[in-house]
Amino acid sequence: MGQFLQFTINGLMSGAIYALIAVGLVSVFKATRVVNFAHGYLIMFGAYFYFTFAVLVPQMPFAPEWLQSWRPEWMLAMRADLPMFSPMAAVLDWMANLPRILLGLAGALVCNALLGLLIERALMRPLMGQSVFAMIMLTVGLISILSGAAQLIWTSDAEFVPALAPNTPIRFEMFGANIFLFGADLANMAIALLIFLGIVAMVRYTKSGVAIRATAEDQSTAYSMGISVPTVFSRAWVLASTTGAIAGAILATRNGISPALGLFGFSVLAIVLMGGLDSYLGVFIAAMAVGVLEALTQWKLGGEWAGIVPYVAVLIVILIRPHGLLGSKEIERI
Amino acid sequence: MITGNLKTSYRADEQVLNNRWKRGFVLAAIAGLAAIPLFGNNYIVLIACQMGIMLIAVTGVNVVIGYTGLMSLGHAAFVAIGAYATVIFHNAAGGVIPESLLTLVAIPFAVVVSALAGIIVGLPSLRVKGLYLAVATLSANFIVIFLIEEQLFAPWTGGMNGINTPTANLLGWELSTRRELFWLIAVLAVLALLAAQNLFRTRVGRAFIAIRDRDYSAEILGISLYRYKLMSFAISAAYCGLAGALFAYFYARILPEQFDLHLSLMLVAAIIVGGMGRTMGAVYGVIIIVMVPEVIKVVFGALAGGGAELAMIRAPIQEIAFGALIVGFLLFEPFGINQIIDRALRALNRWPFARG
Amino acid sequence: MRLNRRHFLAGSAAATATLGAPALLRAQPSEYVIASSLPLTGPFATAGQMVAPALRMFEALVNEDGGIGGVPIRVTAEDSGYVPANALANYQRALATEPNLIMYFGDSTGFMKLVAPELRGENARLMGSTSFASELSDPANNPYQYLPGPSYEDQFDILLQQIADEGGSTVAFIFSNTEFGRDPIAHGRARAEELGLRVVLEEATREQGADIPTHVTQLAQSGAEFCILQGYVTGVWPQLIGGARQFGLPTRFMGTFWGMENAIADRVTAEAGPILDGYAGVMPYKYFYDPERGPVYERYATFQKTAFAGTPLENYMPTWGLQALLSLTIGVEALRKVADKGLELSADNAAEALSELRDWDTGGFFGVPVTMEANKIGTGRVYQYSAETRLFTPTSDWFTV
Repeated sequence: MGQFLQFTINGLMSGAIYALIAVGLVSVFKATRVVNFAHGYLIMFGAYFYFTFAVLVPQMPFAPEWLQSWRPEWMLAMRADLPMFSPMAAVLDWMANLPRILLGLAGALVCNALLGLLIERALMRPLMGQSVFAMIMLTVGLISILSGAAQLIWTSDAEFVPALAPNTPIRFEMFGANIFLFGADLANMAIALLIFLGIVAMVRYTKSGVAIRATAEDQSTAYSMGISVPTVFSRAWVLASTTGAIAGAILATRNGISPALGLFGFSVLAIVLMGGLDSYLGVFIAAMAVGVLEALTQWKLGGEWAGIVPYVAVLIVILIRPHGLLGSKEIERI
Repeated sequence: MITGNLKTSYRADEQVLNNRWKRGFVLAAIAGLAAIPLFGNNYIVLIACQMGIMLIAVTGVNVVIGYTGLMSLGHAAFVAIGAYATVIFHNAAGGVIPESLLTLVAIPFAVVVSALAGIIVGLPSLRVKGLYLAVATLSANFIVIFLIEEQLFAPWTGGMNGINTPTANLLGWELSTRRELFWLIAVLAVLALLAAQNLFRTRVGRAFIAIRDRDYSAEILGISLYRYKLMSFAISAAYCGLAGALFAYFYARILPEQFDLHLSLMLVAAIIVGGMGRTMGAVYGVIIIVMVPEVIKVVFGALAGGGAELAMIRAPIQEIAFGALIVGFLLFEPFGINQIIDRALRALNRWPFARG
Repeated sequence: MRLNRRHFLAGSAAATATLGAPALLRAQPSEYVIASSLPLTGPFATAGQMVAPALRMFEALVNEDGGIGGVPIRVTAEDSGYVPANALANYQRALATEPNLIMYFGDSTGFMKLVAPELRGENARLMGSTSFASELSDPANNPYQYLPGPSYEDQFDILLQQIADEGGSTVAFIFSNTEFGRDPIAHGRARAEELGLRVVLEEATREQGADIPTHVTQLAQSGAEFCILQGYVTGVWPQLIGGARQFGLPTRFMGTFWGMENAIADRVTAEAGPILDGYAGVMPYKYFYDPERGPVYERYATFQKTAFAGTPLENYMPTWGLQALLSLTIGVEALRKVADKGLELSADNAAEALSELRDWDTGGFFGVPVTMEANKIGTGRVYQYSAETRLFTPTSDWFTV
């Protein structure tokens, strides 16, 4: 029971990250009717941008000392008499890194937003109104371009990046078993859930959110109602690439940074389809379910089985409910 | 200038190669193919074999995507199934069937097994299409590779370590070198192309095209979607299974990871570049998709002279080029090279009176 | 008898044969080619990019010594991205385009296994590699492939023995889900049982971008005293150890050759603190900073100082580079033996010459003379990392399995 709890919590934590990634895919789909197969590679770029601004830039000669490692007197004094791996030490180590973490996040957000805009303007807009096949394959082509470009710009090396939150170990006993949690993971989960909720609220209550929903409903009607559809498109892409940047930064701190991050996109694609392409709630349920299922599979069957959980799940769901758990049915006219 | 095709009998009109230009082209192509193993060096034979295998698989993908309009990103799974079926058949039936006949039975076996797998994977196509089908087939690809790698089946598949493959043997003629194997690959590739060309003057082929153009309208016209969609998947999987069987004979050992998503994307990219729904599209597409990385490799080899600094950026550039081919053709020439060539031939035909 | 073309050809062939065909057939080429695939991109790019300059150095030094039988060598490097099929394509291309290809250097366990059945007749070449996979040490089936050290299974044997000697009772195996990672696991499981150790966890992870928290909790839940990591190069293993340290797990970590690079351990220490202190593992060679480095290391060091000035290789050669250098040295040594006998530099002759490397002084790589037994050199020692000195230092003497 204790172990079950442990892996359920692990699963919920990765599920929250899946949800954060999925929110980008859903937003782009709602606004533009395009499903971005290359979303995982946008995330990878976010991770690399975070790495660039949080690790590479502070190491450069022109960067001030405090950017690399901010250690005021009081902090050194506090740190001196703490053991190596105590919770307080973890918090202090995190605070020393805080300037570069913030710079990293800011850089990742801005750069990824620009990248998203570039993709939207240069590649997606010319294909507006084309077949689903062309749209999908365009994003498939984008996969190769992005992953090749990342390898050209950053050597494909697994690098360490500073965690977004203090990585205090949390350890408690429940049902007679030890439960181990990473502080940073809990914080990541909180960040992911807050952003998810924020975006759902934004789409529901703000003006630009209404524009997105109107565009999703009917593009030409939205156009004639005075909504600038191209702006909506751009906004959706920026939303997707910035949430992707944060997801990328989180994944980079959790799993190390490497081109393999791009593969997350495919699992999340399966999750999004499972939940229903245009339903935030459905996607949230699917993300959490897949996260927990994966963790439990990992526990009972081993790591190699965990990798195919999303794909098996999506096949089953699609066969039973072709439009996902809560997706709305498409109506076709002949 | 050709102004029309005069046919005086239905027989003439129904021929696969319905004019003498096409017949001449096919004969010339066959002669050109025969020249490769006779005169080409090892390198040319190597590349030609790879192209031949890939051509068969791409023709299969063309049936399902290009002609039937069903999106699939998982056809590498069928290539894998064909390849592994061949190897497993050889290992299982090795003692029962004489060596000289084994290959002749193994290839049809692989084709049938793949076709059956195609029907299973095609099942979601009855319920979903477009994007959903793309993800369903993509999932199927991941799952098939996973099953091959799974320890449970390792006694038959070799698991992650891969498995050694047999040598093809046609009635006692052992195809132990690539040059010999090329004959088999080339003959089957030409037959596969002609069969694909033939398919689309039959009832089945026309039904496929009707489904592609508008599936509900096709259904109203009395075409059973249920039957023809599955048939399309089965036929295309059979092509891929054939390619897989040849793949197994071509390489001395196969690994599951050779059939991952990347191969699926390459197959689809080839028909996008070549031209969807056209028989020759597969040919052009394969030539480009195989040659572009080779050319980049040769250029970099010449520039780098064996050094590692330039070699380091070669793989990313190949990858970018692959993506750029897909994106470029989708944006600027959605019907692929076939369209460019058609346009050029038309211009040539009408020259000097009109262009384009 | 009319002298037609066929008779003429047959006659002249017979004549050449009697007049000294061997000399004619062995007409010396202008150069010999040693081609290689390296993971210059992909998950293990760091290693590949550091090995590439080592190959260049090797070429220069061999040619300084007169090449092989007076013929200079050329070493080429191609990228495989750590994909076995790419490396195979590279090999096939090299065979088809380089007529004087005498040896190949492969870059992964997967590739070596993939290419093994291709090495028949005219497609066979002597083949060293970065891999220590056990399957490659099999002269009966695989005469052309060899290991420049003990196999991963041997390395596991050594580590498990060490654990048993220290009175450990439980051990966990964490490995990447690649052939490289899986290679010694089945053997290790059997060996642990023999030694009375309980394997409490066998965990497969991705080779990069692995889900660290989940794997660490798995390890924590298993309560293993020792954990052997296999199948990683630069990533994953340091994060796993870091995670375990943060939980204060008492588990002791051990690694095999590819997880023993000093440069990586230093980088981890610099980034994440002294988490690797006490990490131990098997290393077949002397580290480059060894105080008693032999003449060969000295020669490398002199060369590196000038040729690689300003790069990380100026004063240091990573163990990965050493492994590639030794692997090529073994191959060239065997080929030189063949050339000295005046035989053709065929793969068969070279494979035979491999087994003649007995009690061979490598001039620095090993602390003792070594012997090529069953196409591998079963010599090594155990090193332990100290975060204070930032060095791996030996904790055992040289031994041969």
